[in-house]
Amino acid sequence: MSRRWGGLERSHMHRKSAAVGAALALAMLLAAALPATALGASGGSGAAIDAHKITVSVWQAALIAIGYYLANSPWLFGLAFFTLYRPLVAGFLVGLILGDPAQGTLIGAAINVPYLGFISAGGNLPADASLAGWVGTTIALASGLDPTKAVAIAFGLGLLGTIIFYGRMAVDSIFAHWADARAEKADIAGVAFMNVVPGQAFLFVVSFVPVFLLALNGPSAVQDALNALPIWTVNGLVIAGGILPAIGIALNMRFIFRGSAIPYFFIGYILMTATHGSISLVVVAALGLALAYLHLSFVRRDAPVRTETVPEREQAAEAAAAPAGVGSGVRLTRGDLVKSWVLWTFFAHANYSYERLQGTGFAHAMTPIIRRLYTSEDEIRAALKRHLVFFNTEPNFGNVVHGTVIAMEEQRANGAAIDDDAINSVKSGLMGPMAGIGDTLSQSALTPILLALGIGIAGGKASGTAVPTLAGVTGNPLGPIIYVALISVVIVTIGYTAWMQGYSRGRSFVTEILRSGTIDRVLIGAGVMGNMVLGALAASFVVVNLAPTVTIAGAQMNLQAAVLDPLFPGALALGLVVVTWWLLRRRVSPLALLAVYLVVSIVAAYPFFGPDHTSSSDPAAQYQVCTSALLHPYYACGAPPAPSTQP
Amino acid sequence: MSFRLVRIDDRLIHGQVVAGWLRALGAERIVIVDDDMARDEFLREVLTLAAPQGVPVEVFDLAHGAARCIELASTPEPVIVLARSPRTVVGLRQAGVPIEVVDLGGMGGGPGRRRLHKTISVSPDELADLRELERLGTRVEIQIVADDRPIPFQSLDSSR
Repeated sequence: MSRRWGGLERSHMHRKSAAVGAALALAMLLAAALPATALGASGGSGAAIDAHKITVSVWQAALIAIGYYLANSPWLFGLAFFTLYRPLVAGFLVGLILGDPAQGTLIGAAINVPYLGFISAGGNLPADASLAGWVGTTIALASGLDPTKAVAIAFGLGLLGTIIFYGRMAVDSIFAHWADARAEKADIAGVAFMNVVPGQAFLFVVSFVPVFLLALNGPSAVQDALNALPIWTVNGLVIAGGILPAIGIALNMRFIFRGSAIPYFFIGYILMTATHGSISLVVVAALGLALAYLHLSFVRRDAPVRTETVPEREQAAEAAAAPAGVGSGVRLTRGDLVKSWVLWTFFAHANYSYERLQGTGFAHAMTPIIRRLYTSEDEIRAALKRHLVFFNTEPNFGNVVHGTVIAMEEQRANGAAIDDDAINSVKSGLMGPMAGIGDTLSQSALTPILLALGIGIAGGKASGTAVPTLAGVTGNPLGPIIYVALISVVIVTIGYTAWMQGYSRGRSFVTEILRSGTIDRVLIGAGVMGNMVLGALAASFVVVNLAPTVTIAGAQMNLQAAVLDPLFPGALALGLVVVTWWLLRRRVSPLALLAVYLVVSIVAAYPFFGPDHTSSSDPAAQYQVCTSALLHPYYACGAPPAPSTQP
Repeated sequence: MSFRLVRIDDRLIHGQVVAGWLRALGAERIVIVDDDMARDEFLREVLTLAAPQGVPVEVFDLAHGAARCIELASTPEPVIVLARSPRTVVGLRQAGVPIEVVDLGGMGGGPGRRRLHKTISVSPDELADLRELERLGTRVEIQIVADDRPIPFQSLDSSR
């Protein structure tokens, strides 16, 4: 059985898999903590963790736990999923709470890379990126870990977090039944209440308590664990921090690394390596935008053109059915529409359950419409029940469904012959196709591109490309801030436009936008730009450093630094990314890949060819350590200490 | 040869089907059998446009859908058949369409519906239809996305 996460075709990561993640995370976090306390601080090579440490106070832990809850809550204009949920943003905020926003941003950016291909749709959650971001950054920041060590630990936390999500999906079904009971009593406010309050109360408890405890106790547990471990395993974690991002990048590549857009990935990658990472990701993105335009104009000649005109009779029917055609009677005001849209935007996922998915959210959004259109208790009851059924679409682009349905309700209230079946079939017929298009647009195109941009600005970079200390590198909080601003504007604009156009033009808007090929063009353009940015990001974050040396003309030189990199800088990392992408395409589960890459990283850090002398200050001994393993955490071991062996 | 996938999904064409199943199975055609959709010109067009380029979508009512399915069943073309309710699949089966396995991919919950597994809920009528399908020799399985392990309906239908 193969499981994968990410992708519209993402699999179920049910509790069983989450338990695997839990075991993974806990094994890494806690198992070694026992010997540490047993042996005392002298147990391991304590030099491993030398950076400044922060003690997380009770208040800080509480704030972090509230932040994690908010990331999964509806309270931020429904934008939490696109903002606070993302490790890039979480890292910045945790940094603010703990007093080091720059370092927090850097850590959050690094943790976010493996989640670039992250998608959640149709009630499936591959991993909880928000737990990885909020708790992962807390642990890393408080323990003075550098970002690359945090990546592997955070990834384990992400798998653990799915327990919270699936627990909530199961429990929320109960509250949907409570909403049914309120609908039976024609209690509009009651339905709204049931969509928000019980589910959120439950979510708060199951979010706050575990995160509070992890934030308070996690850092010291991790410090103890790392102190107890031999130095090479810690090196292994850093190596993993350079290798795991390949999985996230490859997961996102599955959507955009195809057809004529493929070369742009390599352009982005080479641009970055050729300039030794000195080019800003914003520049790469701008270049990508320009190339996307050229690509659409000149390369993409087979662009789909669906230009058939709307059949006459359909247009006629449309005109007859248009809301404007309704004469006297109850009319919806613009305020009603906006109110309804706002309710949906906030609370679509407030009570996300297996049974109804966004069903109660839809009913809640319809409450201003129902209040305006219907007065008798029977009508209200029927309308509430009509909209409490199962519903699921992409909550922004998919808003055309709501707009269209609201227009139908208005006509029905004014006497048009529209029965429940007609409304239900439009809802259920449209929600699937709109979800397919909307998720592709927002979750697999817009979000990853903007995130990649934010991560690039944040300045996160695997430490493997630099010296083994991050003292000189600070994150740039502008990264998360710019990302949040851009994604919020884009998402809200799409959502509002789709809602209002759905209402005023309904069916003709849907067919027009599908026929015009606009979406295809946007997706192709996004593919070009996305490949460029992703390629550049891969060059910054995926790091493979071979340790072994070769002897050429009597000089001992690092295989990678002396032989491979001069030919094609970063060829190994690029190869890793492409192989990972290929394996994912061959339906190898990302979880299996994760486990294999983690084990390989740690094993490859073992000093096969010599003793472990890290604590020594003798450069010759340090060189020995560097070349004694297969992979090395930091940039190729450099020249041997004796100047006579220099080429 | 038989169909690559016969799926009951109340959302018919959406991400799980388009990005997941279509690619996983290499299917080249989607046939939708649903009386409501076949009647509604607008929804028919939306469904047709919602599939990726180059994958034709055909929407039929039960009678025409059965005839088309029988025709397609004898060709080697990889086809996905989508329906919204078990009733439709019983109809296809009774009309002589050879269906070995039917996949439950999405059946939303609501009042009077019992949840079998995750996003799969059934009404009493649908439960009866699913049992009827098993009686007719069609295996009923739950497999929401292609990567999931199929779960036999029988193992969840404890109340019979």
